[in-house]
Amino acid sequence: MTEQVDPLAPIIAALKEPVALAPDLTARIMASIEKLPRQPVAWWRRRWTVEMTPLRALAAAAGLAAIMFASQAAGRRAGLPSPEALATSPGSGRTQFVLVASEAKEVSLVGDFNDWSLSATPLERDGGNGVWSVTVPLLPGRYRYAYVVDGVLWRPDPEAPAAEDEFGRPNSVLTIGGA
Amino acid sequence: MTGPSDAQVIRRVLAGDREMYAQLVDRYRDRLGRYALRMLGERADAEDAVQETFVRAYRSLSRCEPDNFGAWVYGILVNRCRTNGARRARNNARMVADEAAMARASVAHTEERDTLRDAIHWALERLPTEQREAFLLKHVEDLSYETMEQLTGVRPSALRMRVLRARDGLRKLLAEAVRD
Repeated sequence: MTEQVDPLAPIIAALKEPVALAPDLTARIMASIEKLPRQPVAWWRRRWTVEMTPLRALAAAAGLAAIMFASQAAGRRAGLPSPEALATSPGSGRTQFVLVASEAKEVSLVGDFNDWSLSATPLERDGGNGVWSVTVPLLPGRYRYAYVVDGVLWRPDPEAPAAEDEFGRPNSVLTIGGA
Repeated sequence: MTGPSDAQVIRRVLAGDREMYAQLVDRYRDRLGRYALRMLGERADAEDAVQETFVRAYRSLSRCEPDNFGAWVYGILVNRCRTNGARRARNNARMVADEAAMARASVAHTEERDTLRDAIHWALERLPTEQREAFLLKHVEDLSYETMEQLTGVRPSALRMRVLRARDGLRKLLAEAVRD
């Protein structure tokens, strides 16, 4: 059996040749970035250095306990359910996301509500029927979201209105509570 | 790959070490530049697209999954090339509106076809943008149709058709270039 040669192979090889960009391109890019405000560092990512004396540690522990007690009391006053109650009570703003993907090995839900994190909201497979689902507590509002199959394949929800993000990727839109 | 992984670099940049971002730029600029140059045809336009891509990526870095930076930044570039290519096409349309300019362009094209590389450039530029994009992603960047769908938002069946049409178009255009 003779192997078929792609008639465009020399063209493709020529197109694959590396190109020489300006040596100072990296410097130009970094100069543009220097003009931008620094990345907003999320408070949980910042490095904190706290010097503690035994007396200060005691005071901090007391303060922390007071804050926890106050926030629980405030939650009860506002009628907010505890996280445990939210997980079990019906009609508490919980939204179920479902995707049929029989070939998938893993599916994640990414969206405005979880900072587009691939690891924050994995879907669970319902037996061997290819149905994946997860239930997420969401407050009223408008959310953009998508599914990511096997960590790479970006899928909008086929059952929801579509919207592109600024990178041209297809997302879906979910509106809760007529927001 | 030597040195810290993309994910390690991104975490440091997000923690405030902005200068580390240069490592990501150095790591990806040539590959992105090759795609941009093949798509846009002019080195200055390609460098602009690469620069805009890295600046946009920096602005949105907190939205990037750190282990997936390469594919993510590539998606931004594909989009920049679409936008910048459309703008350039409009400018070119205005430029060739007078006959003298068209005559100059014609002479330039004849000279360009002297070498294989220039013939390829000439032919590639004449493909419809969406066919050129699909051809380059498939055959030059060696991406799967699934990854191409992720980057372009276009279904694999449509992408396959674009690649086929691009291949047909290139063959015809290159035959024309050789005949001339």
